Amino acid sequence: MPVADAVAVGQELPSLQKDLSQRRIDVYSGVRPRSIHTDEAWAHAKGFRTTLAQGMMSTAYASELMTRLLGASFLAGGTLSMAFVRPVYAGDRLTVHGLVKETRREGARTRVVVEVWCENQHGEKTAAGTASGLTP
Amino acid sequence: MTDFPKLTYEALTVGEEFVSDTHLVTPEDIEAYAFAVDDHQDLFTDPSAAGGQVAHPTLMANQALHLRHTKYIVHAGLHAKMEFNFVEPVRPGMRVRSRGRVIDKYEKRGRQYMVTEYVTENERGTALVRGQFTQMLIPEGTRHAGR
Repeated sequence: MPVADAVAVGQELPSLQKDLSQRRIDVYSGVRPRSIHTDEAWAHAKGFRTTLAQGMMSTAYASELMTRLLGASFLAGGTLSMAFVRPVYAGDRLTVHGLVKETRREGARTRVVVEVWCENQHGEKTAAGTASGLTP
Repeated sequence: MTDFPKLTYEALTVGEEFVSDTHLVTPEDIEAYAFAVDDHQDLFTDPSAAGGQVAHPTLMANQALHLRHTKYIVHAGLHAKMEFNFVEPVRPGMRVRSRGRVIDKYEKRGRQYMVTEYVTENERGTALVRGQFTQMLIPEGTRHAGR
């Protein structure tokens, strides 16, 4: 069934779970001294309880929701906007959610607009925003 | 020889521009990124995928985010907001660079922010990703109240 026919406003996309190990943060950010992402002592000095994942990692997770829905179509004509509202720490587990908010015709295709957000293992929202992309 | 001043709210000028070095996107970059974000979809990991292998659309976001490091020593900061408009896929073998311009700086609830608009483009100058991001500055000698 074409994606445009399979997507309905109010539909929840399959959620993703992401474990934020220090190893993944190290690979994402690159290990450097004096980095709140990879230098625990520096993170403490800056007032954080341990190292933080880059907020940008959450944009990659939201992007994954969209490519799982729309495939390569998301890479040309897709949009993503997110605000990072709470730190994500090494060792956290995030659940990434998507909820279809709107579908609208755009030429011969359909743009799917999705509310996206991440929650940590305590149920606290860490990032939130909107993504959209064109159906194949 | 380039001098790198420390980034401060006062030193930052709205309108100033940044440009990154050029980066050759390799299959290893994509493989490392797939591990980092735990996204191993065939689209990104299979060189024989229909239409050819592509990179995760956010692969080069750190190139843009680090633009201010091309001019300043950055003591510490936090990323507050990010916007992407994905124009064309990033593919292995492309040489990409990002250019940015500071479009705003402001203080809110005692914290200092800068807003940068950027474009990441290939060697022919074709835009691949456009967007803007907001970063919070953590001044030297201060601590962020982590939650």
